[in-house]
Amino acid sequence: MKISIQQYAQSLYDSVVGKSDQEAKEICKNFAAILDRNHDLNKEEAIIAVFNDLWNTANGEVAATLSSARELDKAARQDVVEYLKARTGAQSVSLAEKIDKGLIGGFVLRYGSKVLDGSLKNSLDNLKNKISN
Amino acid sequence: MSTTKDFIVDQLKAEISGFKAEVSEKSVGKVLKVSDGIALVSGLAEAMMSEILIFKTETVEVTGVALNLEENQVGAIILGDYTAIKEGDEVIATKRILEVPVGENMIGRVVNPLGEPMDGKGKIETTKFYPVEKIAPGVITRAPVKEPVQTGVKAIDAMIPIGRGQRELIIGDRQLGKTALAVDTIINQKGQNMKCIYVAIGQKESKVANIVTKLTEAGAMAYTTVVLAGASTPASLLYIAPYAGCAMAEYFCDKGEDVLIIYDDLSKHAVSYREISLLLRRPPGREAYPGDVFYLHSRLLERACKLNKDFGGGSITALPIIETQAGDLSAYIPTNVISITDGQIFLEPDLFYKGNRPAVNAGLSVSRVGSSAQIKAMKKVAGKMRLEAAQYRELAAFAQFGSDLDSETQKKLERGKRLYEVFKQDQYQPLSVAKQVVCYYALINGFMDNVPVEKIREFEAGLYKYADLNDAALKLIDTVKEINEEVEKGIKKLIEDYKATVDYLIK
Repeated sequence: MKISIQQYAQSLYDSVVGKSDQEAKEICKNFAAILDRNHDLNKEEAIIAVFNDLWNTANGEVAATLSSARELDKAARQDVVEYLKARTGAQSVSLAEKIDKGLIGGFVLRYGSKVLDGSLKNSLDNLKNKISN
Repeated sequence: MSTTKDFIVDQLKAEISGFKAEVSEKSVGKVLKVSDGIALVSGLAEAMMSEILIFKTETVEVTGVALNLEENQVGAIILGDYTAIKEGDEVIATKRILEVPVGENMIGRVVNPLGEPMDGKGKIETTKFYPVEKIAPGVITRAPVKEPVQTGVKAIDAMIPIGRGQRELIIGDRQLGKTALAVDTIINQKGQNMKCIYVAIGQKESKVANIVTKLTEAGAMAYTTVVLAGASTPASLLYIAPYAGCAMAEYFCDKGEDVLIIYDDLSKHAVSYREISLLLRRPPGREAYPGDVFYLHSRLLERACKLNKDFGGGSITALPIIETQAGDLSAYIPTNVISITDGQIFLEPDLFYKGNRPAVNAGLSVSRVGSSAQIKAMKKVAGKMRLEAAQYRELAAFAQFGSDLDSETQKKLERGKRLYEVFKQDQYQPLSVAKQVVCYYALINGFMDNVPVEKIREFEAGLYKYADLNDAALKLIDTVKEINEEVEKGIKKLIEDYKATVDYLIK
């Protein structure tokens, strides 16, 4: 029987949860051996992505990317983190930050399949659309 | 001097100060794959069925509709130029179900399935939108079909009466006059308190242009909307065209008005849906159609209805058209649609090439609503017409073998010949119900027995002209709608007076 990516990720998660680092290392080694035996090593990336999702939902973590035109100060960053916590009910937030001069001003926040576009570029685009119509 | 610089600057300032940069969260996804009018999109976790999606490409924004909701991806049809979309483009969910503009201003226009004008007459101002997919009215909202739709085609109004709220299939091979029947019906709705919607699905645009010209000439565009999805339109638009047309009809129905909608034709619609389904990798079934091709048409035709008084009393009468291949009624789509509709008008090549046009086959055509959708006068004169017509054809085939026939059979044959002559009717010449009654009255009461068969059509045409000049009898039929002694006397007198003027009667 073929094992789906979802099943791989779920079983990996089930076996490592609550284990010490030493034990987890052993489990990962065995897991890789199983993948090799089933000729499924090429599914590694997809499995890791699903595993990340599983881990994050179980631990109340949310992964987000924050692009901004300039570097944000601590208070602004904290606001974003609070916003995400309130929106998603997550315990913790892992925020990846990017600087994108093309945004002109403001920021774009992405998490899951959601986007909060508060950039000046977006507002200008909307204004352009409104005037040209 | 026209406009000043200051004016423009002021306008712009006002416009900009009124513009609020609203920031709201959006659900987005990425295009994984685009092919032949469909796209696979990742993300869009909260996408709804038949939700409008916007594909943001480098140059334009293209709209699409979500059709497949899967665990990790969404399958969508693209309602625009799919060649502009590239892998990795951003897709935004709008949280709006696909809808079309509806309203009075749609009347007299030619629009595409999205309600955008195609006739070059400028923008259509509408305020209301109706969802393209809607659940059909339930049992408690409906009423029995009772009032007639006068098609103006003698053979149909007599033998296969259609009622307001009925679904009557027009079926036959190519080039037998299916569209002609539908167009005649639209033309005859003038002054009948009926809105008409003609949905062209996969038709040649030249043919549609012809139809629109004919309708305009006949003054029928004053109450007609044409929804055009031509042969070169992508399958996605062909697929939504009949639903869009139906949404436009529902607007009038909800206002308590009567609407006639023609789907020309549903075989091409099924083919376009098959294309979409196969591209979306849904499993194929018989003739490679997907499993839900029955539901595709049943949910569309179920939206035809007659509402009861409490719900406004409006109606939608649907005339779907199906094109068969070599008269094969037992193919997949024809059998499906026959079983969904309340009867069918079957057009036959043999009759057509013999010159019996419209080539309605009396034996295979039925209307399940039947005579409850006829006015009393018509019921009286046309009661046994269908049976007689079908019997005549059998008898005629039988009589070819022998010449020794009793007088009873001879008489039946002669009557039958004249009946088939009477069924002949030219295109774009719909006939009022009163004239039909006079004609059938003359036939069944033997007034035409001494008119030579080859002169019947001439006799008929003369009779209508004569009746127009002495229209007391016609007016009487229109007001009382049944045949009482007074009406009968009027009709008899009219026919006898007219017969006195013709010189080709058999002595």
